[in-house]
Amino acid sequence: MRATLTTCPYCGTGCNFYLLSDDKGRLTGIEPAGKHSTSRGQLCLKGWNAHAFVHHPERLTTPQIRIDGRLQSCSWEQALAETHMQLKRIAENHGPDSLMFLSSAKVSNEENFLMMKLARAGFGTNNIDHCARLCHSSTVTGLVETLGSGAMTNSLSCFNQTDLVFVIGSNTTEQHPLIGSRILQAQQRGAGLIVADSRKIQLAEHANLHLRHHNGTDVALINGMMRQILLDGLEDRNFIDKRTENFAALRDSLEAFTPQYVAGITGLKEHEITAAARLYAQAEKVMIVFAMGITQHTHGVDNVRALSNLALMTGNLGRPGTGINPLRGQNNVQGACDMGALPDVYSGYQRVADARTRLKFSAAWKKSLPEKPGLMATHAIEAAAAGQIRGMLIMGENPMLSEPNQKHVRMALKNLEFLAVIDIFPTETAQLADLVLPAACYAERDGTYTSTERRIQRGRKAVAPPGAARADWQILGDLLRRCGVPADYSSPAEIMEEIARLTPSYGGATYARLEQGESLQWPCPEPEHPGTAILHRDQCTRGKGRFSPTRYRPPQELPDEHYPFLLNTGRTAVHWHTGSMTRRSHLLEREEPQAYTEIHPQDAQKLNISERQMLRISSRRGTIEVSARLTERVPPGQIFIPFHYAEGAANVLTNNALDPESGIPEFKVCAVRVELC
Amino acid sequence: MLKTLTAQDLFRLLDRVSRDYNLLVPRNLDDGTRGLVKWDGQQLDFCGDPLQRKPTSHFFPQTDLLVQLLKDGTASVPRKTPEPLALLGLCREDLQGIAFCDRFFSVPPADDIYLDKRRGALLIGLTGQAGPEGEFLPLAGQDCDIELIAEKPTWTAVAYSEPGAHLLEEFPDADPQGFERLWERSAEITVARQEKLAQAAQLLQRELVTDDFWEEIAARCIRCGGCNFVCPTCTCFCVQDRQGSHGTERSRIWDSCQLDAFMREAGGHNPLGTALLRTRRRIHHKLVDDPQRWGEPGCVLCGRCDRACPTGIGMYSVCDAIVSRFGERL
Repeated sequence: MRATLTTCPYCGTGCNFYLLSDDKGRLTGIEPAGKHSTSRGQLCLKGWNAHAFVHHPERLTTPQIRIDGRLQSCSWEQALAETHMQLKRIAENHGPDSLMFLSSAKVSNEENFLMMKLARAGFGTNNIDHCARLCHSSTVTGLVETLGSGAMTNSLSCFNQTDLVFVIGSNTTEQHPLIGSRILQAQQRGAGLIVADSRKIQLAEHANLHLRHHNGTDVALINGMMRQILLDGLEDRNFIDKRTENFAALRDSLEAFTPQYVAGITGLKEHEITAAARLYAQAEKVMIVFAMGITQHTHGVDNVRALSNLALMTGNLGRPGTGINPLRGQNNVQGACDMGALPDVYSGYQRVADARTRLKFSAAWKKSLPEKPGLMATHAIEAAAAGQIRGMLIMGENPMLSEPNQKHVRMALKNLEFLAVIDIFPTETAQLADLVLPAACYAERDGTYTSTERRIQRGRKAVAPPGAARADWQILGDLLRRCGVPADYSSPAEIMEEIARLTPSYGGATYARLEQGESLQWPCPEPEHPGTAILHRDQCTRGKGRFSPTRYRPPQELPDEHYPFLLNTGRTAVHWHTGSMTRRSHLLEREEPQAYTEIHPQDAQKLNISERQMLRISSRRGTIEVSARLTERVPPGQIFIPFHYAEGAANVLTNNALDPESGIPEFKVCAVRVELC
Repeated sequence: MLKTLTAQDLFRLLDRVSRDYNLLVPRNLDDGTRGLVKWDGQQLDFCGDPLQRKPTSHFFPQTDLLVQLLKDGTASVPRKTPEPLALLGLCREDLQGIAFCDRFFSVPPADDIYLDKRRGALLIGLTGQAGPEGEFLPLAGQDCDIELIAEKPTWTAVAYSEPGAHLLEEFPDADPQGFERLWERSAEITVARQEKLAQAAQLLQRELVTDDFWEEIAARCIRCGGCNFVCPTCTCFCVQDRQGSHGTERSRIWDSCQLDAFMREAGGHNPLGTALLRTRRRIHHKLVDDPQRWGEPGCVLCGRCDRACPTGIGMYSVCDAIVSRFGERL
């Protein structure tokens, strides 16, 4: 039996475990890494079952090309030559910006780096993005503006030191279970806990205060809290004077947010708002924790700005046990952003619009590089629908289930002249492709991943990929060489050397250091640098922390007489996103095998709905059928549907209205109708 | 049979064992944990933390391929491992865990899949000064073929089976009085943990623990299944069938009674349909049902579930809470 230490492929917490394999090269189980700083011998159910999908018989094992409407096996040479030729043809005929590259938060840093190199140096476009667009693009936009860095400011170990945790829009025990457990541990040792979430999530049972504000009213709530803090004189004057700017503008913007006004918008009681403000501001060290409940709104960036304002106002930044802590979703969504799989930046958030930066990358890659920032993933779908994007390469993403308004996405992808998909399973998106390239999964390739606390960690190959499947870095390396870009990498370690040379925040990251058991949290600019556990210690990355006033804007589509329910979407504890891995893992699929909706018993009674009855849910964009789950977890008037299920896809219903700045869709609010089937 | 072994003797013993067995020995691993790894003829670490992975997993692994049903109507059963296992480095609790599984899987109809791996395997206990930094570990006295009791710089070796006696034959006899002294020292080791477990078991057996307590424990459970997956006496598995182009593969995989679907019926009815019922069931099973069936609790106090539980509701923590909350009712 072999034991291979690696990083979990599911959420961004960054747990480590051993993959156990037998002498036939088959995975037999998982062992949590006992002394790893994050996992500490513990895992969630997904982690304990992370080996289960790897040898699933539906894994893609040969390249496939569409001939006469059907996908048929072909050679790697044919597949790669065709991919290169088709993308090149489209770029030559319609310009490089008629191509779109979707990278992946599931693959390594090295592979994301190569994907952005392929888009920019290989095909001459900045049209590269990935699913961070759908989860934390609001965070990056908001926090870069206010602090200068879009990442989690503090470390997971800070939960041991904090006095209060303010969880808003994060169902942490289900979505980041090993972070949720740290919050529970903090609460057990006496730290305070405020939970702001319309659903009665598990953490709410333990909270000193549970604020069930209406979805999409976060700005009003946070502004109301800040107004109260100033009224009570509980702000950190010293911090505001020395470390921040634009305070006067913020203060003026808060005047309207009286408890009465905020209560009217949020549905909360006035005393709940003042109590939250006082609890928050009176604690010495507060950690703000947030996730999709904050970001996935047409005002997602404003939500993030408001949280940043709250932390700055109370001096909860740059110290242990404080900070603004966005919990990144995918195992490598932090890394995919860090590596520049984004339309406006190279690796390390170096702007493509900056001429000197362009020159640096251009010299390294020996290619002239495009200067116009590219399209966001969500805009690219619109552009494909409009015929402006004609060719697309998608790696390890499944927009057919993950993007809002599925009908629109299908139309957009079908409208493409050429679609190539690199994936491990025949996903709903792969089934629309002209060419499918079979990839190695996390257990079959080497690489590094960056967790939500900016920790760069190794993933290691434990077993061989199935059939002819290849590691993504090998596939991308081949395509780069066909484009005439230097890419003679013999291993991901060599790619990391290039990343370190070109990316200041990863300058000290090497495989040698990671092999020696060093744990590196970026920024880690030099080979001797120990890494950075807490950002913005003496000053913010941008210098002064900037207060950025926000005004309340309601969600784009609210319930009305035709569509009287508010639809909230998200995930369950046992499934991962579009389910391509977890729905092929026996224990996980057995736990939640069916698409369902949570509905409050009062609403169920009004509509004569009983438990497990099939319901027809319709929005302006489509209709799905799901089973009813009667629960007080949701408030009356709201239903919650997880988006994992192709057969009852929540994203048939969701609204593709976007935040104007970050391009994130409003997954957390749209209007639906509920009927019996 | 009571023998005394020098370091050289011990290496000779291991060489002998490794001729007939696939010998795994304890090593302090790079990540700071302790595990059983294949004997390379040179390196092993006698002292250290408890083994991270439960040793029963060698006989009852997380995933175990049972049979392949091929498209042509034939079946293929995985080949048995040619060389039996020898596990060195098992503490008393680990040996008790294996003994528990042996008994469970041997009840007719015996579980061939388990016994195929277990039969012929050699268990070598490691007790005495073998804990972290040489801390004294209680003696096992049974449940193994050989018990090695570390006494720096020598080892007392006791055989508890024929294969064990055969392997120890050539070594010099030990002083029986010294052995007695080791047992006396072993008995001195605090038994507070066992007492706490026994008290909690009594409170549960007499139904003195109320549901509001279980409500609190259940509210902390994040349904990871870790308590079951690391427990050396958890024997529940479910069957997974996978259909591919060549046929169907049937495996058994570890199950967890902390999952909602563990007992959920096809129609949706679930006798263990709430976290409260499941959490209570886990502790009840080990401390009430197992003693009734086997005459002893299903917890060997190895501490693994307490380490694996992300929210601090492993067996000992729960027992501790039960005794402090309800202890005076006894």
